[in-house]
Amino acid sequence: MTLIRQYLRAILGARKLLIYTFLLCFALMIYLPFTMIALRSIGRGWFGRLWLPPELTLDWYKWAIEVTNVVDITKNTLVIAALAVAMSTLIGIPTGWAFGRRGIPGRELLMSMILLPRMIPPIAYALGVAQIFYRLHLVNTHFGVALAHVAICAPYAILVLSATFEGLDERVLEAASVCGANPVRVFFHVIVPLILPGILSSMIFTFTTSYNEFTLTLMTYGKDTTTLPVRTYLAIGEGYWEVTSAMSILLVIPSIIMLLMIQRQVAPEKLVGGFKGV
Amino acid sequence: MMKRGSRARSTLVTLLMLLPGLAGFFGLFFYPMMITVVRSLRPEGETVGWTVEHYVQFLGEPRARGVIVLTFVLSISATLCSILFSLVLCLVLRRKPRGHRFFRLTMLIPRVVPGLIGALGLLLLFGSRGWVNLLLLQLLPGLEEPVAINYTIPGLILFYTWLYFPFTAVTTLSTLESLDPAIEEAADVSGANRWQVLRHVVIPLIMPGILAGSVLTFMAAFGAFSIPLIAGGNHRPLSVEIYRQINFTPARWSAASARAMIMAALQVAFLTIYMRILRRPSV
Repeated sequence: MTLIRQYLRAILGARKLLIYTFLLCFALMIYLPFTMIALRSIGRGWFGRLWLPPELTLDWYKWAIEVTNVVDITKNTLVIAALAVAMSTLIGIPTGWAFGRRGIPGRELLMSMILLPRMIPPIAYALGVAQIFYRLHLVNTHFGVALAHVAICAPYAILVLSATFEGLDERVLEAASVCGANPVRVFFHVIVPLILPGILSSMIFTFTTSYNEFTLTLMTYGKDTTTLPVRTYLAIGEGYWEVTSAMSILLVIPSIIMLLMIQRQVAPEKLVGGFKGV
Repeated sequence: MMKRGSRARSTLVTLLMLLPGLAGFFGLFFYPMMITVVRSLRPEGETVGWTVEHYVQFLGEPRARGVIVLTFVLSISATLCSILFSLVLCLVLRRKPRGHRFFRLTMLIPRVVPGLIGALGLLLLFGSRGWVNLLLLQLLPGLEEPVAINYTIPGLILFYTWLYFPFTAVTTLSTLESLDPAIEEAADVSGANRWQVLRHVVIPLIMPGILAGSVLTFMAAFGAFSIPLIAGGNHRPLSVEIYRQINFTPARWSAASARAMIMAALQVAFLTIYMRILRRPSV
């Protein structure tokens, strides 16, 4: 009896070991690429079969800041992302409200139409967007690049916000007005607090999408509107991997901070756009 | 009379509210799509005349079949790998092992960090001087040369999986967590062992969730552009093939548009089939 118990315990212990080995491998798989970038960005003369760079240096960071203009690129990326977020939210709030609160005939069909940009590979309409923008001289302007991002950000915003508005309970609003709140008060003290989380998650979501958007940017950027994904791409093409690594580390920090900041407020499903029913 | 007026006004308000969304859709998606369609039917570099030569020419090329097959091979294998990996990961994470919050956060990293930076890290890690190859050289005594992982098809599948598995994993995890534990307990009480519970109860129940998530992974992998552009080497899926056309001087916009239309049609066709399978009750 005790022998059997011992065996069972051993198997149970091994199972735990197995689970943790698996989780460790998973974490390594995700974080090691960034470790490699970090090491590459501070190492000098790292050739051959060496596990670690033989010499440490911060020169690549100096290069990254001076030569590749990281400051300007970060500024571009943030300005474009902010514009895209603002435009998508402005589109998303009224449209989401109409979808969520009004019985629209053919709502499902209309919604799948709005979501169509998610079904079609971005490069297909990026070609058209580029041609239109060339004609309208929107290429190489912050507004133009942001507008191109709206094509992909707005559907997400509408989706998130229509779910938010739909979740708004009519009875709560009625209760507020029965209790003597005037419409203005109802709006600011009841509706806004209730929909704020939805608006916030839509904004965070569009921000990350715009911050990471590559295809549409590549089609509409110019030398004054280079964003960080495009710059990374160009740098990889140029082949100075050390400088590229230094740049990537500088640029990846905002994303990580963002993730840590928002992980408590936003359900992870929203972050990857995993909505039920696609 | 009064009532009718207010209803008309309410309809008008609804329409006005819908307007920004529709304007965005038509201006930024529908109109560009139409431009692409029209462009694909024009002779190269001209604004008049109609032709289907770009479609015929691309589909007639023997290389075209390779490109299309490659696109599907990459995206379908990446989707399958993501499903398998997510399933194991989520089954482990569901038990809430110590530090599960950290692993949940880790799961989101590939989606939050710009894809190109992830790809750069993967290229460094799996390169001929990367840690993976150093480890393999140490572990396998017979191995003299580093294994080529970057710029190969298995390598690309690995990269795609790394970048796009969170779509599947997150949906799988949320489906698993909304599963009623009573069902499993019932199976357990009925004498099913762990494996049988998993095989016959849990997996069939969460299958719709997994498939819904994998649709997102598939779409992302099918349309993937930045990753094959820098990490594809000589393997060019459709998206890169399209971009190559407009990088010629002079740019071949019509040829690129025709390829883009073919790509869009293939994706929509595949998704339609996938959705139909998904809706079928018995998976």
